[in-house]
Amino acid sequence: MISDELKGVILTVLQLDEWEIGEETVTAQIPGWDSLTHVKVIVAVEKHFHVRFKTTEIVRLKNVGDLQRLVDVKSQIHG
Amino acid sequence: MKDPDELAWTRWCANAEKHPDKEAIVHWVAGEEPYRWTFANLISAAESLTVSLIESGIKKGDVCAIIMRHNKNFYPLYLAIDNAGAIPAILAYPNPRLHPDKFRQGIEGMSQRSGLDWIFTERELEPAITPLIEKEHSTIKGLHFPLEWHIDRAVEKEIRKTMIDFHNSTNASHPLLLQHSSGTTGLQKPVLLSNRAVIQHAEYYGEAIGLNDNDKIVSWLPLYHDMGLIAAFHVPLVFGIPVIQLDTFEWVLVPSLLLQAISNEHGTISWLPNFAYNLMADKIRDEDLEGISLESWRMIINCSEPVRYDSHLKFIQKFLPYGLNPASLSTCYAMAETTFAVTQTPPNVPPSVLSVDRLELSKGKARVTTSGSNYRMCVSSGKTIRGCQVKILDNERNPVEDGTIGELVIHSDSMFDGYRNYPEKTAEVLLDGWYYSGDYGFKHGDDFYIIGRKKDIIIVAGNNIYPEDIEDALSKVDGITPGRVVAFGEEDNEMGSEQISVIAETHVSAEPEQKKLRLEIVKAGMAIDVTIGKVYLVPPRWLIKSSAGKPSRKANKERIVDASGSTKRSVDDIG
Repeated sequence: MISDELKGVILTVLQLDEWEIGEETVTAQIPGWDSLTHVKVIVAVEKHFHVRFKTTEIVRLKNVGDLQRLVDVKSQIHG
Repeated sequence: MKDPDELAWTRWCANAEKHPDKEAIVHWVAGEEPYRWTFANLISAAESLTVSLIESGIKKGDVCAIIMRHNKNFYPLYLAIDNAGAIPAILAYPNPRLHPDKFRQGIEGMSQRSGLDWIFTERELEPAITPLIEKEHSTIKGLHFPLEWHIDRAVEKEIRKTMIDFHNSTNASHPLLLQHSSGTTGLQKPVLLSNRAVIQHAEYYGEAIGLNDNDKIVSWLPLYHDMGLIAAFHVPLVFGIPVIQLDTFEWVLVPSLLLQAISNEHGTISWLPNFAYNLMADKIRDEDLEGISLESWRMIINCSEPVRYDSHLKFIQKFLPYGLNPASLSTCYAMAETTFAVTQTPPNVPPSVLSVDRLELSKGKARVTTSGSNYRMCVSSGKTIRGCQVKILDNERNPVEDGTIGELVIHSDSMFDGYRNYPEKTAEVLLDGWYYSGDYGFKHGDDFYIIGRKKDIIIVAGNNIYPEDIEDALSKVDGITPGRVVAFGEEDNEMGSEQISVIAETHVSAEPEQKKLRLEIVKAGMAIDVTIGKVYLVPPRWLIKSSAGKPSRKANKERIVDASGSTKRSVDDIG
């Protein structure tokens, strides 16, 4: 499940009031989330959750569920 | 040119014979060991794939579209198509956000215009493409999945004879490749280039950038774009020097990959569109640069978008501590119609920069100023390379004096022969061997400065986007008055490029409904793989019409920007 916190960060970067985001949602389904804004979203997520992603972790993200799991794992390590 | 009748294939084979074990193409994938094609292995794999092509019925002159993602076996396939006498045409792999119908329409339009004969793609696209082949009057004869083919097949005597016969019966005027101009879903302009044009251009351009045996090109550029295909693929193949190919999609997700590749592989030359300078300077963190050395990088060539002075400054500032030589920043002016480059700044010499009075510039004069605050920093795109001539003409097609703005008109030894099956479009731009570029600029000394475009094309991150495509898509959105929408490019200083803005007339006035409508507009853009940055909703009859009776992009852009302030970035509404 996608946390409200992660969803909030994504929506803020993309300047959206509301959008349905689930585990299987891919970037192409969210308005404004294209390859050029992807870096912005990743940087904002890292900053908000105080985590750091590796290059290979970023390129292997397939959907928002993957991003949520990565945030969860990293937060546990750093928490 | 050493041998004016030389074929590209002959040159590639000569390079393989001369240094068989030298790296030709290093295929990078993040997190994996790079795959290293030597010249000998590349040719051997290409010959093997040629066998499969000939067995599949591919004939001399057939146009073979390749629609594939970043894959190590793409390169020998491309060479094999040429070896079989056919013509490769690389098309962009569809972005997941592009609607399948729009993707099919794009391919169909191209096939009608370019006469695509075969499509080489991945199994995943089979359901999307098959209906096109089954359609009545389709030019496409078949679909192939070359990633499932073997690349180590023996070349039987009979097949080798077919290859040799083809080379013996072909001269350098035979087409080497077909490129398509950028765009979204509209009909794209197919540019056919001969073996001679490409080899000659590679030699002239190589001379302009001082290309030598120690060079290693590093590129993330897509190969369906002229900058990626000619500069970062054909030029190194002709010269027999290595190129490191990164995945465009991986690079844009993790821009530091380019710098890792430069550092690890001791890369020397890259081409980048202007937005990449901003993206890398702004988004790469210092932690990602640990251990990175950019000392080997001797030329970073800004091309495909208007060059922005601030982008260069921030790039130098960011990467100077990592060994970047400020004089490595270079510029080039290029287009597919002249194979690639027209002008280029010399190696190790920073591009000239002029501070020009903005007011005078708007009146068509580039007056250098050292005082006042209303000026524009214009960066030179260099001098003409060998084999190219440039004239600057006014609207009546008369030459203008140095320092006067006009259209750049080009003559090149590596000029295309016209758009394939598009005589009316060719006649618009090609006159007595001179190509009318539609770009505006001026000459100062021997240097050319590009400052804008005559046409309304929007350039986003190096990609040309036609406003008509966006306007057509948005006219179908419920709530927008059909035909009463304009799309244009607005300067995005943060990105170092343009973003797409639209103004649409609507009867919808309540705020919640307007919000919904804006979202629908952005979604309609997504369906044609276009990101709309700003939406301006205006009441009926707000848009100013041109003399032709259609809403004027230029006049309405000026009106909306004046009304809302040009630096605003959020989604907005007016009226």
